[in-house]
Amino acid sequence: MRLFFELTKQSIRRHLTYRAATLAGLVTNFVFGLMRVAVLVALYGEAQEVEGITVSGIITYACLSQAVIAYLSMFGWYELMNSVYTGEVAADLLKPMNYFSYWMAQDLGRAIVNLLLRGVLLMVLFSFMFELDTPQTAIQWLALPMAIILGWLLSFSWRFLINLAAFWTPNAVGFGRFGFVLSWFFSGFLMPLRLFPDWTVDLANLTPFPHMLNTVVELYIGVLSGAALAQALLMQLLWVLGLILLGQLLMKAAVRRLVILGG
Amino acid sequence: MNIINVHQLHKQFKVSKHRRGMWGAVRNLVSQDYQLVEAVDHIDFQIGPGELVGYLGPNGAGKSTTIKMLAGLLVPTGGILEVNGRVPWRERQAHVAEIGAVFGQRTTLWWDLPVIESLALLKHIYKIPEARFQHNLAEFTDMLALAPFLNTPVRSLSLGQRMRADICAALLHEPKILFLDEPTIGLDVVAKERIRQFIKQVNQARGVTVILTTHDLQDVEKLCERVMIIDRGRLLFDGQLKSLRDRFGGRREMIVDFTESYPDVAVEGAQLIAHDGVRATYQFERDELTASTLIGRISSRYRIRDLTVRETEIEETIRRIYEKGLLES
Repeated sequence: MRLFFELTKQSIRRHLTYRAATLAGLVTNFVFGLMRVAVLVALYGEAQEVEGITVSGIITYACLSQAVIAYLSMFGWYELMNSVYTGEVAADLLKPMNYFSYWMAQDLGRAIVNLLLRGVLLMVLFSFMFELDTPQTAIQWLALPMAIILGWLLSFSWRFLINLAAFWTPNAVGFGRFGFVLSWFFSGFLMPLRLFPDWTVDLANLTPFPHMLNTVVELYIGVLSGAALAQALLMQLLWVLGLILLGQLLMKAAVRRLVILGG
Repeated sequence: MNIINVHQLHKQFKVSKHRRGMWGAVRNLVSQDYQLVEAVDHIDFQIGPGELVGYLGPNGAGKSTTIKMLAGLLVPTGGILEVNGRVPWRERQAHVAEIGAVFGQRTTLWWDLPVIESLALLKHIYKIPEARFQHNLAEFTDMLALAPFLNTPVRSLSLGQRMRADICAALLHEPKILFLDEPTIGLDVVAKERIRQFIKQVNQARGVTVILTTHDLQDVEKLCERVMIIDRGRLLFDGQLKSLRDRFGGRREMIVDFTESYPDVAVEGAQLIAHDGVRATYQFERDELTASTLIGRISSRYRIRDLTVRETEIEETIRRIYEKGLLES
């Protein structure tokens, strides 16, 4: 536990030093956010509400999905994969620690920095531009941090699983991209899931992806409450446990398979 | 009681064979042909606690593969492998907690952290009690002269500094066994010497078992009593450095300076390998000819001003073993 905390702390410090990259990312996410809002508002046209999402709801959705890009690493995360290909993985496996929690601690540090510097800051910037929705009830406010944390856990476990492919093939980047595109679509990152036809929504609900992002968004714009809210959080938790378990199992198999390339 | 026990250990790698040409490339898409390469071919050895063993062999001989199996990073294809009474890959975490390893080609430290913070993280990883950690850190900092760069990020260290930091990192948790894979590669003479001194001291004072692979035979001569030689996956020699020299280092050299320049200085029983002005170099077999006989033969014909006899260097001995496969019978 102490090690986990120390690794997270180191990772926070490291990510705080990437000032230029953070600023560039912030500007990009902001500009694309403005464009997405413009497109979605144009699509809404005269309509006040579509599938329970109001115009201000859809604007908030667009801003939120821009704000989560960084802390959920929506555009891909290949650090673990690269460490396998460069052979750095050997140094990690020479240390008596759990490989999964080692990466998790470091990703937590990365996520915290990006949630604050690129997530919260971005929402503050957007709130100067638009009238944004916020959670309505105290329960929704309480549930929000939980949903955010579970969403990150889910995203990390998924990224960990994808990256493990590096242990099996000499170039897993293509596989990784496929995994990330899958998560864009089914997490509601491209469009709110509610706006898709029912069968797509049903299909998405069979995957863990809606719980990375869509749950957080629906909670934030206030369309998720009561029993549905409780159920969503529970499902998030179950998926997290499932994926962590799967990650641990696959990790064991991966380490066993390990053949370090070169020298 | 042996600390390392290896019996009929072997490791096969699957190497894909690429077919040539355009048609070959298309066929490769459908089915790949594999070739099995025996990287380590049924080797046996035992190492006792406190030994300092040199593990030698040309590039691609199987040295690193063996070390990686011993360190728990590679799973053997077959055979028995026990280190500290454990099968390394089966109980990886328990195993690596009791060994230290330095791979000269890459660092086990965190690239962007200052050395001291990397070491502090290791304290948590290995759960080293604070007092032990401080004590060991102070001792190693002193012995390896780490003080000037403890606060420098690992990526900005020179190779020699990085290697010293890595060696310190591998020993902080007081492992019973230390694996050193080419710890002096690319270092200058002074840095090499400092590392050798340290290895020797750790081995003698702390009783750490050391297994060292190297291409620098000075390392071997200065550190190891026992050497193992591997080539093409097979263990060719395992024994005292001295007996290796006795058995295969049979050739000696005599360098003679004459008082004047003779046109022909050949003598029977010795091979003239260099002759330049007043200086001539002869090579002769230890078993066939004593140095005094040779001196007698030469001095009966020419006037000698000065001479030296040189034992063959271990380097030469090992080169001959590699080249001629002397040990294959």
